[in-house]
Amino acid sequence: MSTPPTSSEYMLLFKGTLWDRELSPEELQQVMTRWMNWLDRLTQEGKVIAAHPLANQGKIISWKKGAPTDGPFAESKEAIGGYFLLQVSEEEALEIAKECPALKYGVAVEIRPIVNQCASMERVYMEHSVGSSK
Amino acid sequence: MSAEITGSPFILLFRGTDWDRGLSAEEIQQTMSRWTDWFDRLTSQGKAKLGQPLNNDGKIVSGKKGAAVVDGPFTESKEAVAGYILLRVADLDAATEIAKECPGLDFGMSVEIRPISEELGRGPD
Repeated sequence: MSTPPTSSEYMLLFKGTLWDRELSPEELQQVMTRWMNWLDRLTQEGKVIAAHPLANQGKIISWKKGAPTDGPFAESKEAIGGYFLLQVSEEEALEIAKECPALKYGVAVEIRPIVNQCASMERVYMEHSVGSSK
Repeated sequence: MSAEITGSPFILLFRGTDWDRGLSAEEIQQTMSRWTDWFDRLTSQGKAKLGQPLNNDGKIVSGKKGAAVVDGPFTESKEAVAGYILLRVADLDAATEIAKECPGLDFGMSVEIRPISEELGRGPD
């Protein structure tokens, strides 16, 4: 295969876990209702493969001194608060991201295409295919 | 047989898109096949529900009504999310044990483990 087909699955990562701190309970309730209605509509339209809010707890595992070590997850402006995994075109993914009800409170939406093969293996294949007939 | 659902749902986020820098093609291939074997085992054990790599291309949307759009591909970094796995396991400790098996860890990747709420979520079917 020379050119991979355009991805039809996208992951939306909602970034920011502190955006709701300044909101009143009423405002927060409003945003959450809009959010659930938004997800309901996308689900009814058959665009949602999976979608979940992420709890503000958890762990980070990293390699330290020759062994995997766990540390606590920390909330931040960059931390991921939830995700949507969508079956949509690139244009639809962008349109949907722009509808996120928390954008105006500082949440950012990262849109990432889902691939069948990770980028590292792509690089391996590309290096190996250089100079070959394919 | 009742389709009883046991355990709790978690997402593993694999962070680090520059882990393969400096590795040979063989080393990358070895790591990736270890990764595939790991994922296949978790799937056959019923622990992994879904998992995929993310392309380094993409966009970041922010601002009111998504007025600011930054186009990728993004610079590779230690923090960027490279992929994910949705798990269903007994508890956070079980998820942590699985995360510690990630073949990318000793190349500088990190794994973020987060409980997810199924009541407020959807899928995967």
